Amino acid sequence: MLELRAITAGYVKNAPVVRNVSLTIAPGEAVGLLGPSGCGKSTLARVAALLHRPDSGTLVLDGRPVRRWRHRAPRELRTAFGVVFQQPRLSADPRLALRDLVAEPLRATGRREGLAERVAELASAVGLTPDLLGRRPHEVSDGQLQRACLARALVLRPRWLVCDEMTAMLDASTTAALVAVVEEYRAATGAGLLAVGHDRTLLDRWCDRTVHWETLPARARPAEDGQPAPERVPAG
Amino acid sequence: MTCDAPTPAGGPAPAVWRSRGTGRRSTRTLRVRVCAALAAATVLAVLLVPPLVQLDQQAVDLAAKLLPPSWEHPFGTDDVGRDLLLRCVYGLRVSLLVGVAAALTATVVGTAVGAAAGALGGWADRAIMRVVDTVSSVPHLLLGIFIVAMFRPGVWPVVVSVALTHWLSTARIVRAEVMSLRARPYIDAAVSGGASRWRVTVRHLLPGVLPQAGLAAVLMVPHAMWHESALSFLGLGLPAHTASLGTLIQTARGSLLAGQWWPTLFPGLFIIVPTLAIAGLAGAWRERINPRRRSELML
Amino acid sequence: MTERAPVLSVRGLSVRFLMPGGRRVAAVTDAHFDVAPGECLALVGESGCGKSVLASALLGLLPGNAQTAGQALLGETDLLAADERTLARTVRGRLIGLVPQSPAAHLTPVRTIRSHLRETLTELTGVRGRAALRAAAGKAAERAAFPAGHLDHHPHELSGGLAQRAATALALVGDAPLLLADEPTTGLDRDLVDRTVDELRRHVDEGSEGAEGAEGAGASAGNAGAGRALLMITHDLAAAERIADRVAVMYAGRIVELTDAAAFFGAPGPRHPYSRGLLQALPDRAFTPIPGLPPELGDLPDGCAFAARCARATGACAVPPPLTGTVACHHPHQEPGPRAPAAQPLAPEAADRA
Repeated sequence: MLELRAITAGYVKNAPVVRNVSLTIAPGEAVGLLGPSGCGKSTLARVAALLHRPDSGTLVLDGRPVRRWRHRAPRELRTAFGVVFQQPRLSADPRLALRDLVAEPLRATGRREGLAERVAELASAVGLTPDLLGRRPHEVSDGQLQRACLARALVLRPRWLVCDEMTAMLDASTTAALVAVVEEYRAATGAGLLAVGHDRTLLDRWCDRTVHWETLPARARPAEDGQPAPERVPAG
Repeated sequence: MTCDAPTPAGGPAPAVWRSRGTGRRSTRTLRVRVCAALAAATVLAVLLVPPLVQLDQQAVDLAAKLLPPSWEHPFGTDDVGRDLLLRCVYGLRVSLLVGVAAALTATVVGTAVGAAAGALGGWADRAIMRVVDTVSSVPHLLLGIFIVAMFRPGVWPVVVSVALTHWLSTARIVRAEVMSLRARPYIDAAVSGGASRWRVTVRHLLPGVLPQAGLAAVLMVPHAMWHESALSFLGLGLPAHTASLGTLIQTARGSLLAGQWWPTLFPGLFIIVPTLAIAGLAGAWRERINPRRRSELML
Repeated sequence: MTERAPVLSVRGLSVRFLMPGGRRVAAVTDAHFDVAPGECLALVGESGCGKSVLASALLGLLPGNAQTAGQALLGETDLLAADERTLARTVRGRLIGLVPQSPAAHLTPVRTIRSHLRETLTELTGVRGRAALRAAAGKAAERAAFPAGHLDHHPHELSGGLAQRAATALALVGDAPLLLADEPTTGLDRDLVDRTVDELRRHVDEGSEGAEGAEGAGASAGNAGAGRALLMITHDLAAAERIADRVAVMYAGRIVELTDAAAFFGAPGPRHPYSRGLLQALPDRAFTPIPGLPPELGDLPDGCAFAARCARATGACAVPPPLTGTVACHHPHQEPGPRAPAAQPLAPEAADRA
């Protein structure tokens, strides 16, 4: 269970881009978050993925409130999330070959055994050829790079996926291919998904339920009221 | 409506190819080559002339003092009859050594400080940058003189003096670069992939700023050479008997008034030409590392 | 539309890049198409297929290592042969108005929209004097439906939609006969995409109908008033469907299908297997990707570039198919009537037609 409760977050003091927003995602559930560009939904996604510390509000992950973000968050918690961003060009370290890009989280967490096999397995899942794996980001197209970024997000087998406008820069076929990869992974592992986007048709087709940014706080409140306070739920 | 452009296709691809902007490229290549040749000549002269030419640059010949350039002494002789060409090469050797050593030291210090400030952020960043501001508010030359004055004259005090006054700009450049890289999504992705703070800095941030830091280091070599020359010229750098370009010009000052131009001109040229060559190469490098140029294929 | 002379006529346009190491990358190969006044041609394809390179070639904005071949006639001017001076003085802004990909990045951050408009007006039209420029700027903004109250705002104070309108207003100032929109809807939300393309459509339609009632700025080309043409480059098929009269599908640097938009998106559907696959990948259709990856532009196969991913490929595909009629394929889907069953490797009548 991933619960965002009354989150307020932003980058400048006293000018939050997210105000008092709540959202709950059940385990294995795919939630589409729909909203116009610049409304703060990406910030909310970063809060959910422990990448941005909110000014106020709580994030409750499987019954336990999260108190630390980014580097301060325990590694097992951080790596429980796989994130894919909108612009593959900015999301890939320009110096790393695609193979190293995908393998980087494995190296960072010290899981070196079976690394090559895991990378090869993911590369074939996202449709990257061995030839492409040897190239650096400026030598491949946006679509190919985004495939690598998705592979990187999946490499640690996260329990949650956060896709922030993952397909906004991509053509229809690559979009369909990447969504299929995500769904295959979710079917195999039961991971939950927060897909942020602005294309209603896509999110409706992709996700179990789609919520609109405008309706967020109002929608989440009744659910919150109806449930027991998660602090009292014994943590497994 | 059907296509109104039925193509006469099937034939081979059109043969007439037009290019754009070839002229500009060739002058750039020429410029780079000239600079590279000059820089190479400088380095070769400094490395090869002393061991190959078994002449003593300190050899005093009072009978041949202040001779104008001739075949025997292409750059003429100085006020105690030493061959100026030889003195210049030895001077360049010392100046270049000081310049490279000081630039390297300054770059290492500056990169470390700048990266620390940029990667840590918050109050650590503010504290470090205030120190940088404080140090840079003191005039460089004054600070340099102060440092040199604490030691016995020699090469290493000058290196330290130049290095300690020049790391500030590198620290600022590196910090700014690190800050801009830190906001990139790929750093977010690394954090989410479980990378520690140290790993993010060392593996993702530093390699990204190294080209900039390297460029700053190269551009600093001529700067450091000038700084050394200035210190020596003021009589504070190297002892007068050690030939450096600064000491050469300093001792030649008097002769200039007497109409003897060669003892100042040639050491001066020896500062300026390598400086321009290095700056030219650094400029070409900057164009190469500019990300917009890096991917010439715009797909 | 055939009775009117096309605004832009592209014949055999090819672009290749010379890479370090002597490698050649064929980014665009042998493109032929026309854009008529009052018409919108949408050039669709996935990222890296060469469509942005084609746009850059038309604007003369290719990098130094590019070579071009063929012709792109805009009125009397061959855009590919023109020198930089001609392009700067008579083409950009005056003959081609560019609607950019990311308008916020296209505008100077430290200047207001009014100041942008004023500068462009001074540069492209004969309007002089403070009052006249002020009025003309207001009028130019109005044409792109940019609210007058926001004229004194800076680009960062505008929403994505308003920034897009500001950029469109700038593109319209020179009253160019051809509008070139390079991915104008990337990163916009669906509503905004619809609004943006509707506005672009309006500029195309207005240009062709009520042109004589337009601005005193028409000192530029003789084409002004004959109707505006729009070449829209996009990967967004929904946007293309909404706006386009005709669709050109690009794959691996070649235009593989050039056809009527209604037929393409509607009843008979696309004829090229790639176009068909692209449409089927849409979330409101089958949502199934085309298997495989597009080939490298630096390493294209000798035959049809799509053959490796195509269910209909046969031995005939080892030879590159010419663009015959509307499609460049050896085994296109049937032209008229209902769709043929999918798993028919080679329908004899299709082969005859091709």
